Amino acid sequence: MDGEIGNGVMKTASNGVNEYENRRLTDDEFDRYSRQMIVPGMGKEAQLRLINSRVLIIGAGGLGCPAAQYVAASGVGTLGIVDGDVVEMSNLHRQVGHATSRIGMKKVDSLITHLKDLNPLPTYTPHPFHISSQNAADIISKYDLVMDCTDNAATRYLISDICVLLQKPLVSAASVQKSGQLIVLNCPPAQQGLIDKPYPPCYRCCFRKPPPPSAMVTCGEAGIMGTVVGMMGVAQAGEAIKILASNLHKPSTSTNPSAPPSENLCQPHLLLYTYDLASGIGPYTFRAAKMGGRKKNCFACGENSPSTLTLEGIKGGNPNYEQFCGLNAASTTLLPKEERITASAYHQAKVKGELPEHILIDTREKEHFSFGSIEGAVNLPFTTLLTKAFKIKRAGQEEGKAEDILPPQAKEVSEDAPILFVCRRGLDSQEAVEKFKELGLDKGGKRKIMDIMGGMKAWKDEVDPDFQFI
Amino acid sequence: MSSSTPKPPPGHFNILYFASASSYTLKNVESLPAPLPLGKLFGVLEERYKGIRENVLESSLVTLNLTYVDVDEGGEGEGTVIQEGDEVAVIPPVSSG
Repeated sequence: MDGEIGNGVMKTASNGVNEYENRRLTDDEFDRYSRQMIVPGMGKEAQLRLINSRVLIIGAGGLGCPAAQYVAASGVGTLGIVDGDVVEMSNLHRQVGHATSRIGMKKVDSLITHLKDLNPLPTYTPHPFHISSQNAADIISKYDLVMDCTDNAATRYLISDICVLLQKPLVSAASVQKSGQLIVLNCPPAQQGLIDKPYPPCYRCCFRKPPPPSAMVTCGEAGIMGTVVGMMGVAQAGEAIKILASNLHKPSTSTNPSAPPSENLCQPHLLLYTYDLASGIGPYTFRAAKMGGRKKNCFACGENSPSTLTLEGIKGGNPNYEQFCGLNAASTTLLPKEERITASAYHQAKVKGELPEHILIDTREKEHFSFGSIEGAVNLPFTTLLTKAFKIKRAGQEEGKAEDILPPQAKEVSEDAPILFVCRRGLDSQEAVEKFKELGLDKGGKRKIMDIMGGMKAWKDEVDPDFQFI
Repeated sequence: MSSSTPKPPPGHFNILYFASASSYTLKNVESLPAPLPLGKLFGVLEERYKGIRENVLESSLVTLNLTYVDVDEGGEGEGTVIQEGDEVAVIPPVSSG
């Protein structure tokens, strides 16, 4: 392929990918891309490949903004963006492709506004809705490479499955709190079900099943450092540009023997970024772990996958991604009614002076607690509570031991004073009640242990609209 | 392997915890006694951190000296033994973005 470039017209690849003429760059293009084109390994040829490629970015958030900025600036020909959300104030510390003046606007429109100003040459295609089992194949089929910048496990499995079936390379990044991950999957793409030689893995080959819903955290709940997700988005753009400029995105087939060597993508590296607020750059900041190739028993791309995963099946709701990720199963009520009190009932009883002497424990993390709580609450973060409860249980619940879990303030009230829990949204507080009862702290019913329904969210909604809830 | 990683004490291997594995154990790294058959790793961790198997390990990928190992029963990693001085990493998927 490389040798043909200089002869004038590039041949059409058998799969129709990257069909283009070797032409003179326009003055605009020449000027705009000059600094990247002179980097060793780039040149005119690589730039023309970028100009003739179509990239789909799914998610216009913390990953999608920086990813889109660098992909657009590098000069890809077509950039599609999928997102159904609108810009909110709380997005802007990390979603730097949006703007304060565009709060309330559809994210795809806001980001494209920014990108057009940065580089007017590419064609920008907005897809202003969420990706779903119904629309995913139709959208993805129009592009050469997919970037997963989404925020949930169910969508990640869906995108990976469609990319396997349509033979599209997938650059996947993810980030939450202080961690980031990046991996190139399904590149160069190979036909589903082939296992006669090493082929690249899909998302399922690496992560066979999702974490339980209780262990899944979102940026909204766990928080996210802007630079962490930004770094991952930029690195993701770098991988996409590399793949397109080097022609690695073409399906590897016997009819495409001249595809460049890409053995190292059959066992790609997973880049891990760990950001520690309390220390400098250390040995664990960046790690790269070598992954396996396509798994023989993979549900999506392995030996028998053509019988388990099809485009028609996905459109018809099989597999059910939300069920696979346990999104419908989670029960939010663990405790009987008599062990719960609403935020407003607690407040009214307190105002009327009807509330008996009690301990109120707020189980949110200390960063959340630092913005305030209900008056008189003491902080015992849920993770600390679980660790302490586990240690006590292992020690065998000797006399007095279980009381060690109580905050020091417990000594200031009578020993049968009720214990109340409040958390962020009302799930951890119920589990905390159960843990305390397991430890025998309810003294066979003599001491009441309850939770405030709906957590501090309910407190804000029902009692104190000024409360600063995150 | 990176030379800047603290070496585990004699008779031990290092285990690195990423993302939710780190929040569950409240550690980034610790040393555990070696040798240890790979198939017993999850059991050892469950003993130390109750609930970690269901909440973290079963959805995580595991690397040995920064290379993916298949910890599934009947997987390619069966029969692998973690040796003194090795580095194991528990890497849960991150979904957000």
